[in-house]
Amino acid sequence: MTATALESQLIVGATLFILGVIGFLTRRNLILIMLSAELMLHGVSINLTAFSRYHGNPQGQVFTIFVLTIAACEAGLALSLILSLYQRRKSLDIFLWGKLGEDDLPVFSGSPAPPITVTVDPNVDLPHLTPAGRMPKTQPGPQTKT
Amino acid sequence: MTNWLNENVLWLIPAAPLLACLWIVLVGQVIGRKYAHRPLVLGLAVSLIASLYLLTVVVPHGFGHDEHDASHSVMTTVYQWIKIGTIDVPVTLRADAMSALMLTMVTSVSLLVAIFASSYMKGDPGYPRFFAAMSLFVFSMCMLVLAGNFLLLFVFWEAVGVCSYLLIGFWFHKPSAAAAAKKAFVVNRIGDFGLILGIFLIWQTFGTLDFATLFESPNLINGILAGQPDIFHWICILLFIGAVGKSAQFPLQVWLPDAMEGPTPVSALIHAATMVTAGVYLVARCTPFFVHAPYVQMTVAGIGAATALIAAITALTQYDLKRVLAYSTVSQLGYMFMSLGAAGGGHGLALHAVTFAMFHMFTHAFFKAVLFLSAGSVMHAMGDVIDMRRFSGLRKALPITHWTFLAGALALAGVPLLSGFWSKDEILAVLAAASREGEHAGFYGVILGIALLTSLMTAFYTFRAYFMTFWGEEKFPEEAGHHPHDAPPAMAVPLAILAAAALGIGLLTGPTHLYGHYLHHTPGLPEGHEFPIDWLMMGISSILAAVGIGTAYQLYVVSPKIVENLQRRLSLAYQASQNGLYIDWFGYKFIAAPLRGLAKICEFFDRWVIDTLVDCVGFIPGLFGSIIRPIQNGMVQNYAAVMMLGLVVCLITVLRALAGTH
Amino acid sequence: MEWNEENGLLLIPLGLGCLAVWWLMPSAKQRPRILGGLAALAAILMMQLMLLPPAGDYVRNVLFFLFAAAAVISAGLMITDRNPVYSALWFALVTLAVCGLFLLNSAPFLSASTIIVYAGAIIVTFLFVIMLAQQSGTATSYDQQPIQPAMATIGAFILLGALLFTLQEWGHIDGKSTNQHAEPGQFIALPEGIQPNPLSQAPQDNPHEIGSLRVLGRSLFGDYLFAVEIAGTVLLIATIGAIAIAPRRSQGTL
Repeated sequence: MTATALESQLIVGATLFILGVIGFLTRRNLILIMLSAELMLHGVSINLTAFSRYHGNPQGQVFTIFVLTIAACEAGLALSLILSLYQRRKSLDIFLWGKLGEDDLPVFSGSPAPPITVTVDPNVDLPHLTPAGRMPKTQPGPQTKT
Repeated sequence: MTNWLNENVLWLIPAAPLLACLWIVLVGQVIGRKYAHRPLVLGLAVSLIASLYLLTVVVPHGFGHDEHDASHSVMTTVYQWIKIGTIDVPVTLRADAMSALMLTMVTSVSLLVAIFASSYMKGDPGYPRFFAAMSLFVFSMCMLVLAGNFLLLFVFWEAVGVCSYLLIGFWFHKPSAAAAAKKAFVVNRIGDFGLILGIFLIWQTFGTLDFATLFESPNLINGILAGQPDIFHWICILLFIGAVGKSAQFPLQVWLPDAMEGPTPVSALIHAATMVTAGVYLVARCTPFFVHAPYVQMTVAGIGAATALIAAITALTQYDLKRVLAYSTVSQLGYMFMSLGAAGGGHGLALHAVTFAMFHMFTHAFFKAVLFLSAGSVMHAMGDVIDMRRFSGLRKALPITHWTFLAGALALAGVPLLSGFWSKDEILAVLAAASREGEHAGFYGVILGIALLTSLMTAFYTFRAYFMTFWGEEKFPEEAGHHPHDAPPAMAVPLAILAAAALGIGLLTGPTHLYGHYLHHTPGLPEGHEFPIDWLMMGISSILAAVGIGTAYQLYVVSPKIVENLQRRLSLAYQASQNGLYIDWFGYKFIAAPLRGLAKICEFFDRWVIDTLVDCVGFIPGLFGSIIRPIQNGMVQNYAAVMMLGLVVCLITVLRALAGTH
Repeated sequence: MEWNEENGLLLIPLGLGCLAVWWLMPSAKQRPRILGGLAALAAILMMQLMLLPPAGDYVRNVLFFLFAAAAVISAGLMITDRNPVYSALWFALVTLAVCGLFLLNSAPFLSASTIIVYAGAIIVTFLFVIMLAQQSGTATSYDQQPIQPAMATIGAFILLGALLFTLQEWGHIDGKSTNQHAEPGQFIALPEGIQPNPLSQAPQDNPHEIGSLRVLGRSLFGDYLFAVEIAGTVLLIATIGAIAIAPRRSQGTL
């Protein structure tokens, strides 16, 4: 029984890791950033199982299980955090959370966001959540000072 | 009891006004604002009694003796002030005959002026403040006279300057008063600079500042004299610069006429009787130094003569009564310096020169105080109008003031047998003696001529002011109201006492040599033979006084038309005199204006060169910061990217290192 | 490390891949995606050629290449897609491909649990949140605008290049498989004096045994019992934390 060459697996792992890094660094959507982090974890997991196979012991796989555990924790916490952030700003844009910068610097927002030019393909039918629970309140108007 | 008094009378003299000052400042501001003068009067009475007692303590043998025995001085060390290494400056009070006499003069005049002021200043919103400053001034003046070393003297030299500043600017909301106070303070700084340089030089030369050590042991001075005789010239000229500033001598006399912006009692006390004579006191006190610097003594005489002449010329045409008196004060101070300078005229003259200067200071304090206070009384009656052109013929309306002013004027003019006559005559006599012998006889001859001319002018301008104010048709300014009232008792009594002193104190102490012989007990004064009475000078000065008074009577009472003619004919000279020979103008144009230009240049340099350099230094870190700062833009991914770059570098380094081991 | 031809050869797929990822990034200007796709394909093919072993288990190699290519291509599409929903779905595909690779590495249990955890829980939750947040279903403006794409891409590919060059130096990627002389510690020498735990040691004659539940369970609850307990605690804490952080109903719903 032969095994796939170790180097090939390492290259695949490294590539996935790098693509995860690129995603983490370039995307502005909070959820996609978290997904990119998961992608990096996948690359690491491939490395671990490959070494496990190469050395003929299960330690690599055991560590992959731990990675899986931590990934699950991370995903749960990240999602709850993202939800509370979303509730504040009603957007998943990470640029809205650039408050760590120097006070006198303008908040970095890159080039202005282009107008959405993509016309929605009517054929694409994404799943929608049906409104549930109590009736959402209408947005309050601008507060008048009393 | 007597022993206790002998030991403690020294500190009692300055302590009483100091306590009065503290009381007025701490309590008097709140309780009994109307009676703020009481602590001062009480304290000054205590001081006066203590001073009189001090006279007997310093020279126990009594007055008439002219023996020059062992040192007559009393010393008390109050407090160990500075003691670092070889520098040892205790707060020592030291009294000898000269200081005892001066203290008597200071405290007596102060007491009378304080009583006068308690009525004069009534109703002023700053009533307690006035008396607090007065108390502080008397304390400082007593300490200045009693100082046992040069550093302490300098401290209180400055303290009286500060009090003068506070009192000139007493009505500080009046811009002219504030400006005058500032001017007095700044001009005094120039003199004080010279004084402290002189003190430094004394320290460096002798290694001590103690009066007792310096003046009572001739060996010390003789030792220095053998090694470096020139040093005395420098010390003396620097000390004299200090005296010039404080005593308003040429060219620093410009502050004194402006100082008349202060309340009149202040003018009488500080700017006529006491503080301005501190310079004379300093030079007299340092006679042991000055006798070794004949050229400086000639300078003293020359400056005194120039001041006396300039001030007298200026006083001829002033219309402001207080200004006439101020220029007269400057002129009389010039007289005193002339007398002090006469010590350079020959051996044996030094003692008499100093004696006569101090005696003139003594008599001048009384008759100038009464003149100023009478002028104050006139102001009081005329509703604070002081321009002589706006009132005249007051001798009916203000009889008391009239008589006291007349007494002071006669004394100042040098009418025979009055106090000014004796002291002025003695100064003329000593100048005449100096011009008769020695190598500088010609110089002193010129000085004597100036002194005689000044004497004539003094008699003229004094009586010009007297006639303009009290003679002629009766005329009141509208500020005075319908019936100007004469001095109330609290003002009249001090006026009467001072007038009596102006008339009699010269006769009492001058020809009897009471003052002179007492002063001769001062340790450190050189020996001198008996000085004969100079009948010639006495006659000349009497004639000059009579001529001056007569001319004034002729011009201002009999035929005032001549004055107008003269004004028209000699308009140039008249203008020059009216404007004080343009010395103020000269000072502004040729000293203040270039200095202002220099300040402008400095300001420009500071603003555009220094500030720019400092800004550049501050700009560089900001520049570096602004290069790096955009990295800290708060975006998580930016930080992650930097982390990744660091990871790349670390990884490559580690991998290369591991590859080496393979 | 000396420079030789193979090193230079490796630069071509690296550069192509870098270019492709950058090209495919969402941007203001619509770029023809096909060009990027072609470049990416070319890069992957070149890598495949380099990785191709001369001989061996063909079925296994083909499967490996298929899974690897699927994982890489899906990952590339995931990070470049404008629509977050599609990205999540591409991520699901990556997960599946990775699970295939796990299977090839004799880790069936791991493969199954990854599918359950990721595809069954994580991705579904992510999709759930995306759809909550972007109910319009259209791509939002911020999804079309990457941050610093050039810097991130180039930097990341430098990292990848560093890894690949190192592997090339050590493992002779050009065809010579390490399988022929598979000795433990070829890459990183085992420290001497440390004996492997005999309990968790798989029988050498049957390499498939290492992924079996028996061996895995023995290792987990033998060697790593303590770590397992800690991992369980961390999970519990994370659960409590997530519940605590998540917005209350009283604070308003999404």
